[in-house]
Amino acid sequence: MSMKFEFSLDKKPDYGFITVKIPAGQTLKVEASAMASMDTNVIMKTKMKGGLGRLLTGESLFINEFTAEKAPGEICLAPSSPGDVDHIYLDNDTIFMQNSAFVASAMGIETATKWQGLTKGFFSGEKLFLIKCSGTGDLWFNSYGGIFSVDVDGDYVVDTGHIVAFTGGLEYKISKVGGYKSLFLSGEGLVCKFSGKGKIWVQTRKVSPMVSFFWPFRPQKSN
Amino acid sequence: MNVKIEMGPGSAIAKVALAPNETFTAEGGSMVAMSGNMSIETTTHKKGKGSIASGLKRMFSGEGFFMNHYTASANGGEVILSSSLPGDMMVKELQNEKLVVQGGSYVASSTGVDIDFEWQGMKSVFSGESIFWLGVRGTGSVVLNSFGAIYPIEVDGEYVVDTGHIVAFTENLSFTISKAGKSILSSFLGGEGLVCKFKGTGTVWCQSHNPQGFGQAVGPKLKPRS
Repeated sequence: MSMKFEFSLDKKPDYGFITVKIPAGQTLKVEASAMASMDTNVIMKTKMKGGLGRLLTGESLFINEFTAEKAPGEICLAPSSPGDVDHIYLDNDTIFMQNSAFVASAMGIETATKWQGLTKGFFSGEKLFLIKCSGTGDLWFNSYGGIFSVDVDGDYVVDTGHIVAFTGGLEYKISKVGGYKSLFLSGEGLVCKFSGKGKIWVQTRKVSPMVSFFWPFRPQKSN
Repeated sequence: MNVKIEMGPGSAIAKVALAPNETFTAEGGSMVAMSGNMSIETTTHKKGKGSIASGLKRMFSGEGFFMNHYTASANGGEVILSSSLPGDMMVKELQNEKLVVQGGSYVASSTGVDIDFEWQGMKSVFSGESIFWLGVRGTGSVVLNSFGAIYPIEVDGEYVVDTGHIVAFTENLSFTISKAGKSILSSFLGGEGLVCKFKGTGTVWCQSHNPQGFGQAVGPKLKPRS
Protein backbone atom coordinates (compact mmCIF):
# COMPACT_ATOMS: atom_id res chain seq x y z
CA MET A 1 0.00 0.00 0.00
CA SER A 2 1.48 3.27 -1.08
CA MET A 3 0.02 6.76 -1.24
CA LYS A 4 -0.04 8.79 -4.43
CA PHE A 5 1.80 12.11 -4.45
CA GLU A 6 0.14 15.25 -5.72
CA PHE A 7 2.34 16.60 -8.54
CA SER A 8 2.45 18.60 -11.77
CA LEU A 9 4.53 18.38 -14.96
CA ASP A 10 5.11 21.85 -16.43
CA LYS A 11 6.68 23.43 -19.53
CA LYS A 12 6.71 20.23 -21.54
CA PRO A 13 8.23 19.11 -23.87
CA ASP A 14 11.31 21.35 -24.13
CA TYR A 15 11.91 22.51 -20.56
CA GLY A 16 9.88 19.99 -18.59
CA PHE A 17 10.13 20.02 -14.82
CA ILE A 18 8.33 18.29 -11.96
CA THR A 19 6.72 19.81 -8.88
CA VAL A 20 5.82 17.36 -6.10
CA LYS A 21 3.91 18.09 -2.91
CA ILE A 22 5.28 16.00 -0.04
CA PRO A 23 2.83 15.40 2.82
CA ALA A 24 4.18 15.80 6.38
CA GLY A 25 6.23 12.77 7.39
CA GLN A 26 6.62 11.46 3.83
CA THR A 27 9.86 10.99 1.87
CA LEU A 28 10.77 11.17 -1.83
CA LYS A 29 13.80 9.52 -3.50
CA VAL A 30 15.48 11.94 -5.91
CA GLU A 31 18.39 11.53 -8.33
CA ALA A 32 21.34 13.59 -7.05
CA SER A 33 21.44 17.09 -8.55
CA ALA A 34 17.85 16.99 -9.85
CA MET A 35 16.54 19.31 -7.10
CA ALA A 36 16.01 22.82 -8.47
CA SER A 37 14.13 24.42 -5.58
CA MET A 38 12.18 23.48 -2.45
CA ASP A 39 10.57 25.05 0.58
CA THR A 40 12.18 24.92 4.01
CA ASN A 41 9.88 22.19 5.33
CA VAL A 42 11.79 19.75 3.15
CA ILE A 43 15.01 18.28 4.56
CA MET A 44 17.57 16.45 2.43
CA LYS A 45 19.57 13.35 3.34
CA THR A 46 22.16 11.76 1.01
CA LYS A 47 22.10 7.97 0.68
CA MET A 48 24.36 5.56 -1.16
CA LYS A 49 21.98 3.44 -3.19
CA GLY A 50 22.72 0.46 -5.36
CA GLY A 51 26.51 0.61 -4.90
CA LEU A 52 28.65 -0.52 -7.81
CA GLY A 53 25.69 -1.33 -10.02
CA ARG A 54 24.68 2.27 -10.27
CA LEU A 55 28.26 3.19 -11.09
CA LEU A 56 28.10 0.80 -14.09
CA THR A 57 24.97 2.36 -15.53
CA GLY A 58 26.60 5.76 -15.67
CA GLU A 59 24.12 7.12 -13.16
CA SER A 60 25.40 9.12 -10.27
CA LEU A 61 26.08 6.95 -7.25
CA PHE A 62 23.85 8.96 -4.99
CA ILE A 63 20.16 9.19 -4.46
CA ASN A 64 19.01 11.85 -2.09
CA GLU A 65 16.03 11.49 0.20
CA PHE A 66 13.82 14.52 0.67
CA THR A 67 11.53 14.42 3.68
CA ALA A 68 8.83 16.88 4.70
CA GLU A 69 9.53 16.66 8.40
CA LYS A 70 7.02 18.65 10.44
CA ALA A 71 4.72 20.20 7.83
CA PRO A 72 3.85 19.50 4.16
CA GLY A 73 6.50 20.62 1.68
CA GLU A 74 6.97 21.23 -2.00
CA ILE A 75 9.94 20.43 -4.23
CA CYS A 76 10.72 21.28 -7.87
CA LEU A 77 12.84 18.79 -9.82
CA ALA A 78 14.54 19.38 -13.16
CA PRO A 79 16.84 17.14 -15.19
CA SER A 80 20.27 18.40 -16.25
CA SER A 81 19.56 18.71 -19.99
CA PRO A 82 16.62 20.44 -21.66
CA GLY A 83 13.90 17.97 -22.52
CA ASP A 84 10.78 16.25 -21.35
CA VAL A 85 9.54 14.65 -18.14
CA ASP A 86 6.89 11.99 -17.56
CA HIS A 87 5.32 9.96 -14.76
CA ILE A 88 3.99 6.48 -14.10
CA TYR A 89 2.34 4.97 -11.03
CA LEU A 90 3.52 1.42 -10.53
CA ASP A 91 1.12 -0.95 -8.82
CA ASN A 92 3.29 -3.92 -7.84
CA ASP A 93 4.78 -3.67 -11.31
CA THR A 94 8.13 -3.39 -13.11
CA ILE A 95 9.46 -0.91 -15.63
CA PHE A 96 12.86 -0.81 -17.38
CA MET A 97 14.45 2.56 -17.93
CA GLN A 98 17.39 3.98 -19.87
CA ASN A 99 20.38 4.57 -17.56
CA SER A 100 19.98 8.33 -17.22
CA ALA A 101 16.18 8.57 -17.19
CA PHE A 102 15.48 8.19 -13.46
CA VAL A 103 14.47 11.45 -11.74
CA ALA A 104 12.50 10.57 -8.60
CA SER A 105 10.25 7.98 -7.00
CA ALA A 106 8.22 7.09 -3.95
CA MET A 107 9.99 5.05 -1.24
CA GLY A 108 8.03 1.98 -2.37
CA ILE A 109 9.98 1.77 -5.65
CA GLU A 110 13.18 -0.28 -5.70
CA THR A 111 15.79 0.59 -8.33
CA ALA A 112 18.26 -2.04 -9.50
CA THR A 113 20.61 -2.11 -12.45
CA LYS A 114 20.03 -4.64 -15.16
CA TRP A 115 23.10 -4.60 -17.35
CA GLN A 116 22.32 -5.67 -20.90
CA GLY A 117 25.52 -7.65 -21.38
CA LEU A 118 27.51 -8.21 -24.55
CA THR A 119 24.86 -9.71 -26.77
CA LYS A 120 22.20 -7.12 -26.27
CA GLY A 121 23.68 -3.79 -25.36
CA PHE A 122 27.18 -3.82 -26.78
CA PHE A 123 26.54 -4.33 -30.48
CA SER A 124 23.78 -1.78 -30.61
CA GLY A 125 26.36 0.98 -30.63
CA GLU A 126 24.46 2.74 -27.88
CA LYS A 127 24.97 2.14 -24.19
CA LEU A 128 21.81 0.28 -23.41
CA PHE A 129 22.20 0.17 -19.66
CA LEU A 130 18.82 -0.33 -18.11
CA ILE A 131 17.62 0.44 -14.62
CA LYS A 132 14.93 -1.87 -13.30
CA CYS A 133 12.33 -0.08 -11.20
CA SER A 134 9.76 -2.18 -9.39
CA GLY A 135 7.30 -1.94 -6.55
CA THR A 136 4.34 0.25 -5.78
CA GLY A 137 4.27 4.04 -5.95
CA ASP A 138 4.98 7.09 -8.13
CA LEU A 139 7.94 7.21 -10.52
CA TRP A 140 9.16 10.20 -12.53
CA PHE A 141 11.60 10.08 -15.45
CA ASN A 142 13.12 12.38 -18.07
CA SER A 143 14.85 12.50 -21.45
CA TYR A 144 16.68 14.82 -23.80
CA GLY A 145 14.04 15.86 -26.40
CA GLY A 146 10.32 15.21 -26.09
CA ILE A 147 8.78 11.99 -24.75
CA PHE A 148 5.85 10.20 -26.40
CA SER A 149 4.37 6.86 -25.42
CA VAL A 150 3.28 3.96 -27.59
CA ASP A 151 0.81 1.26 -26.51
CA VAL A 152 2.20 -1.94 -27.95
CA ASP A 153 0.07 -4.95 -28.81
CA GLY A 154 2.10 -7.18 -31.10
CA ASP A 155 5.41 -5.98 -32.56
CA TYR A 156 6.99 -2.54 -32.40
CA VAL A 157 10.46 -1.28 -33.35
CA VAL A 158 12.41 1.55 -31.67
CA ASP A 159 15.91 2.87 -32.48
CA THR A 160 18.02 1.79 -29.49
CA GLY A 161 19.13 5.36 -28.74
CA HIS A 162 15.54 6.60 -28.53
CA ILE A 163 14.27 4.24 -25.80
CA VAL A 164 13.38 6.00 -22.55
CA ALA A 165 11.47 3.24 -20.74
CA PHE A 166 9.23 0.21 -21.26
CA THR A 167 6.94 -1.90 -19.14
CA GLY A 168 8.34 -5.12 -17.71
CA GLY A 169 5.99 -7.50 -19.55
CA LEU A 170 7.42 -6.73 -23.01
CA GLU A 171 9.86 -9.06 -24.74
CA TYR A 172 12.71 -7.31 -26.53
CA LYS A 173 15.71 -8.10 -28.68
CA ILE A 174 18.30 -6.02 -30.51
CA SER A 175 18.27 -6.55 -34.25
CA LYS A 176 19.14 -4.85 -37.52
CA VAL A 177 16.77 -2.84 -39.64
CA GLY A 178 16.04 -4.33 -43.11
CA GLY A 179 18.68 -6.45 -44.86
CA TYR A 180 22.45 -6.35 -44.42
CA LYS A 181 22.74 -3.56 -46.96
CA SER A 182 20.40 -1.50 -44.80
CA LEU A 183 22.42 -2.28 -41.67
CA PHE A 184 25.49 -0.46 -42.98
CA LEU A 185 23.99 2.04 -45.37
CA SER A 186 20.59 3.03 -44.03
CA GLY A 187 22.00 5.20 -41.24
CA GLU A 188 19.58 3.48 -38.87
CA GLY A 189 22.05 1.10 -37.19
CA LEU A 190 20.44 -1.33 -34.80
CA VAL A 191 16.97 -1.25 -33.34
CA CYS A 192 15.15 -2.80 -30.42
CA LYS A 193 12.29 -5.09 -31.48
CA PHE A 194 9.59 -5.27 -28.84
CA SER A 195 6.82 -7.84 -28.76
CA GLY A 196 3.90 -8.56 -26.47
CA LYS A 197 1.57 -6.21 -24.72
CA GLY A 198 2.73 -3.11 -22.85
CA LYS A 199 3.87 0.46 -23.15
CA ILE A 200 7.05 2.10 -24.46
CA TRP A 201 8.23 5.66 -23.88
CA VAL A 202 10.31 7.10 -26.73
CA GLN A 203 12.43 10.27 -26.87
CA THR A 204 12.26 12.51 -29.97
CA ARG A 205 15.94 13.58 -29.93
CA LYS A 206 19.30 12.04 -29.04
CA VAL A 207 22.37 13.76 -27.60
CA SER A 208 24.90 12.06 -29.92
CA PRO A 209 23.81 13.74 -33.22
CA MET A 210 24.11 17.11 -31.47
CA VAL A 211 27.65 16.19 -30.42
CA SER A 212 28.49 15.19 -34.03
CA PHE A 213 27.03 18.46 -35.27
CA PHE A 214 29.55 20.44 -33.20
CA TRP A 215 32.57 18.45 -34.45
CA PRO A 216 33.47 20.73 -37.43
CA PHE A 217 33.11 23.82 -35.22
CA ARG A 218 35.60 22.61 -32.59
CA PRO A 219 39.10 24.15 -32.60
CA GLN A 220 41.97 22.27 -34.26
CA LYS A 221 44.65 20.94 -31.92
CA SER A 222 47.75 23.10 -32.23
CA ASN A 223 51.18 21.68 -31.38
CA MET B 1 0.49 8.72 -46.35
CA ASN B 2 -0.96 10.84 -43.59
CA VAL B 3 1.55 12.94 -41.63
CA LYS B 4 1.02 14.55 -38.23
CA ILE B 5 3.62 16.83 -36.65
CA GLU B 6 3.75 16.74 -32.84
CA MET B 7 5.89 18.25 -30.04
CA GLY B 8 6.98 21.29 -32.05
CA PRO B 9 8.61 23.70 -32.16
CA GLY B 10 11.55 22.40 -30.11
CA SER B 11 11.29 18.59 -30.16
CA ALA B 12 9.15 17.95 -33.23
CA ILE B 13 8.45 14.49 -34.65
CA ALA B 14 6.53 13.48 -37.78
CA LYS B 15 4.10 10.58 -37.33
CA VAL B 16 3.64 9.00 -40.75
CA ALA B 17 0.57 6.73 -41.03
CA LEU B 18 0.72 4.38 -44.03
CA ALA B 19 -2.17 2.68 -45.81
CA PRO B 20 -1.89 -1.09 -46.46
CA ASN B 21 1.12 -1.81 -48.72
CA GLU B 22 1.90 1.90 -49.07
CA THR B 23 5.54 3.00 -49.55
CA PHE B 24 7.31 6.23 -48.68
CA THR B 25 10.89 7.47 -48.70
CA ALA B 26 12.86 8.97 -45.80
CA GLU B 27 16.34 10.33 -45.28
CA GLY B 28 18.76 7.81 -43.71
CA GLY B 29 18.99 8.11 -39.93
CA SER B 30 15.65 9.86 -39.41
CA MET B 31 13.65 6.87 -38.12
CA VAL B 32 12.86 6.91 -34.37
CA ALA B 33 10.31 4.11 -34.12
CA MET B 34 7.90 2.12 -36.30
CA SER B 35 5.38 -0.70 -36.37
CA GLY B 36 6.93 -4.16 -36.36
CA ASN B 37 5.66 -5.19 -39.79
CA MET B 38 7.45 -2.58 -41.89
CA SER B 39 9.80 -3.68 -44.68
CA ILE B 40 12.77 -1.45 -45.47
CA GLU B 41 14.86 -1.12 -48.60
CA THR B 42 17.95 1.10 -48.80
CA THR B 43 18.92 2.62 -52.13
CA THR B 44 21.00 5.52 -53.33
CA HIS B 45 18.07 7.18 -55.04
CA LYS B 46 14.46 6.58 -55.99
CA LYS B 47 13.19 3.07 -55.31
CA GLY B 48 13.91 0.91 -58.35
CA LYS B 49 15.97 3.60 -60.06
CA GLY B 50 19.07 3.58 -57.90
CA SER B 51 22.21 5.19 -59.21
CA ILE B 52 25.44 6.01 -57.46
CA ALA B 53 25.62 9.40 -59.16
CA SER B 54 22.36 10.60 -57.67
CA GLY B 55 23.42 9.28 -54.27
CA LEU B 56 26.69 11.18 -54.53
CA LYS B 57 24.86 14.33 -55.44
CA ARG B 58 22.64 13.95 -52.44
CA MET B 59 25.66 13.46 -50.18
CA PHE B 60 27.12 16.75 -51.37
CA SER B 61 23.85 18.48 -50.72
CA GLY B 62 24.21 17.77 -47.00
CA GLU B 63 21.70 14.91 -47.05
CA GLY B 64 22.50 11.30 -46.23
CA PHE B 65 23.92 9.36 -49.17
CA PHE B 66 21.23 6.74 -48.88
CA MET B 67 17.48 6.85 -48.80
CA ASN B 68 15.30 4.35 -46.94
CA HIS B 69 12.03 3.17 -48.51
CA TYR B 70 9.50 1.94 -45.97
CA THR B 71 6.62 -0.29 -47.09
CA ALA B 72 3.74 -1.14 -44.78
CA SER B 73 2.25 -4.64 -44.57
CA ALA B 74 -1.30 -5.51 -45.60
CA ASN B 75 -2.45 -4.03 -42.28
CA GLY B 76 -0.87 -0.60 -42.82
CA GLY B 77 1.58 0.84 -40.32
CA GLU B 78 3.29 3.81 -38.74
CA VAL B 79 6.79 5.29 -38.91
CA ILE B 80 7.97 8.07 -36.60
CA LEU B 81 10.66 10.42 -37.89
CA SER B 82 12.72 13.14 -36.20
CA SER B 83 15.76 15.26 -36.94
CA SER B 84 19.13 15.52 -35.26
CA LEU B 85 18.99 19.11 -33.99
CA PRO B 86 16.36 20.77 -31.79
CA GLY B 87 13.66 22.25 -33.97
CA ASP B 88 10.38 22.01 -35.79
CA MET B 89 9.03 20.03 -38.74
CA MET B 90 6.38 20.74 -41.38
CA VAL B 91 4.39 18.92 -44.05
CA LYS B 92 3.72 20.43 -47.47
CA GLU B 93 1.20 18.85 -49.83
CA LEU B 94 2.40 19.26 -53.40
CA GLN B 95 -0.09 19.36 -56.29
CA ASN B 96 2.02 18.84 -59.38
CA GLU B 97 4.39 21.58 -58.24
CA LYS B 98 7.96 22.02 -57.12
CA LEU B 99 9.74 23.19 -53.98
CA VAL B 100 13.39 24.10 -53.71
CA VAL B 101 14.59 22.71 -50.36
CA GLN B 102 17.75 23.69 -48.48
CA GLY B 103 20.20 20.74 -48.28
CA GLY B 104 19.70 19.60 -44.69
CA SER B 105 15.95 20.25 -44.40
CA TYR B 106 14.59 17.29 -46.37
CA VAL B 107 13.18 14.46 -44.19
CA ALA B 108 10.71 12.37 -46.19
CA SER B 109 8.28 12.27 -49.10
CA SER B 110 5.59 10.08 -50.63
CA THR B 111 6.22 8.01 -53.77
CA GLY B 112 4.62 10.56 -56.12
CA VAL B 113 7.35 13.04 -55.26
CA ASP B 114 10.74 13.12 -57.03
CA ILE B 115 13.86 14.36 -55.25
CA ASP B 116 16.82 15.62 -57.18
CA PHE B 117 19.89 17.74 -56.82
CA GLU B 118 19.18 21.35 -57.72
CA TRP B 119 21.84 23.65 -59.11
CA GLN B 120 21.11 27.25 -58.27
CA GLY B 121 24.18 28.56 -60.03
CA MET B 122 27.45 30.05 -58.84
CA LYS B 123 25.58 32.54 -56.68
CA SER B 124 24.96 29.76 -54.17
CA VAL B 125 28.69 29.14 -53.83
CA PHE B 126 29.22 32.69 -52.66
CA SER B 127 26.45 32.55 -50.09
CA GLY B 128 28.88 30.68 -47.82
CA GLU B 129 26.11 28.58 -46.28
CA SER B 130 24.21 25.60 -47.66
CA ILE B 131 25.52 25.67 -51.16
CA PHE B 132 23.30 22.85 -52.28
CA TRP B 133 19.61 22.58 -52.81
CA LEU B 134 17.17 19.77 -53.51
CA GLY B 135 14.44 20.08 -56.11
CA VAL B 136 11.35 18.28 -54.79
CA ARG B 137 8.58 17.94 -57.36
CA GLY B 138 5.39 16.02 -58.09
CA THR B 139 2.17 15.29 -56.26
CA GLY B 140 2.15 14.10 -52.65
CA SER B 141 3.50 14.95 -49.20
CA VAL B 142 6.92 16.32 -48.34
CA VAL B 143 8.21 16.44 -44.74
CA LEU B 144 10.83 19.07 -43.89
CA ASN B 145 12.71 19.99 -40.72
CA SER B 146 14.31 23.15 -39.39
CA PHE B 147 16.71 24.31 -36.71
CA GLY B 148 14.42 26.31 -34.42
CA ALA B 149 10.88 27.26 -35.44
CA ILE B 150 9.53 27.50 -39.02
CA TYR B 151 7.64 30.53 -40.28
CA PRO B 152 6.22 31.03 -43.79
CA ILE B 153 6.49 34.33 -45.64
CA GLU B 154 4.18 35.10 -48.57
CA VAL B 155 6.33 37.01 -51.02
CA ASP B 156 4.82 39.33 -53.60
CA GLY B 157 7.54 41.49 -55.03
CA GLU B 158 10.82 41.33 -53.13
CA TYR B 159 11.84 39.88 -49.77
CA VAL B 160 15.18 39.40 -48.02
CA VAL B 161 16.17 36.27 -46.04
CA ASP B 162 19.56 35.59 -44.45
CA THR B 163 21.18 32.67 -46.27
CA GLY B 164 21.31 30.50 -43.14
CA HIS B 165 17.60 30.87 -42.42
CA ILE B 166 16.04 29.34 -45.55
CA VAL B 167 14.16 26.02 -45.25
CA ALA B 168 12.43 25.91 -48.65
CA PHE B 169 10.71 28.07 -51.25
CA THR B 170 8.26 27.62 -54.10
CA GLU B 171 9.69 27.29 -57.58
CA ASN B 172 8.13 30.48 -58.94
CA LEU B 173 10.43 32.54 -56.72
CA SER B 174 13.92 33.39 -57.92
CA PHE B 175 16.70 34.70 -55.72
CA THR B 176 19.93 36.59 -55.98
CA ILE B 177 22.66 36.78 -53.36
CA SER B 178 23.30 40.30 -52.20
CA LYS B 179 24.72 42.32 -49.34
CA ALA B 180 22.49 43.10 -46.39
CA GLY B 181 23.72 46.68 -46.13
CA LYS B 182 24.56 49.39 -48.62
CA SER B 183 28.24 48.46 -48.78
CA ILE B 184 30.17 45.23 -48.30
CA LEU B 185 31.85 46.73 -45.24
CA SER B 186 28.63 47.63 -43.47
CA SER B 187 27.15 44.22 -44.31
CA PHE B 188 29.99 42.36 -42.64
CA LEU B 189 30.44 44.78 -39.73
CA GLY B 190 26.69 44.52 -39.17
CA GLY B 191 27.14 40.78 -38.76
CA GLU B 192 24.65 40.01 -41.50
CA GLY B 193 27.05 39.11 -44.31
CA LEU B 194 25.18 37.93 -47.37
CA VAL B 195 21.46 37.56 -47.82
CA CYS B 196 19.09 36.02 -50.35
CA LYS B 197 16.87 38.51 -52.13
CA PHE B 198 13.76 36.73 -53.40
CA LYS B 199 11.74 38.04 -56.33
CA GLY B 200 8.32 37.00 -57.60
CA THR B 201 5.13 35.66 -56.07
CA GLY B 202 5.30 32.60 -53.84
CA THR B 203 6.15 31.29 -50.37
CA VAL B 204 9.47 31.05 -48.60
CA TRP B 205 9.67 29.04 -45.36
CA CYS B 206 12.27 30.41 -42.94
CA GLN B 207 13.85 28.89 -39.83
CA SER B 208 14.13 31.05 -36.73
CA HIS B 209 17.72 29.97 -36.02
CA ASN B 210 20.83 29.50 -38.09
CA PRO B 211 22.69 26.19 -37.43
CA GLN B 212 26.02 27.70 -38.56
CA GLY B 213 25.59 30.52 -36.07
CA PHE B 214 24.85 28.04 -33.27
CA GLY B 215 27.88 25.93 -34.20
CA GLN B 216 30.12 28.98 -34.20
CA ALA B 217 28.76 30.15 -30.85
CA VAL B 218 29.40 26.85 -29.06
CA GLY B 219 32.11 25.03 -31.06
CA PRO B 220 35.14 27.21 -30.17
CA LYS B 221 34.40 26.70 -26.45
CA LEU B 222 34.69 22.91 -26.80
CA LYS B 223 37.89 20.87 -26.51
CA PRO B 224 40.10 20.80 -29.63
CA ARG B 225 39.53 17.89 -31.99
CA SER B 226 42.10 15.17 -31.48
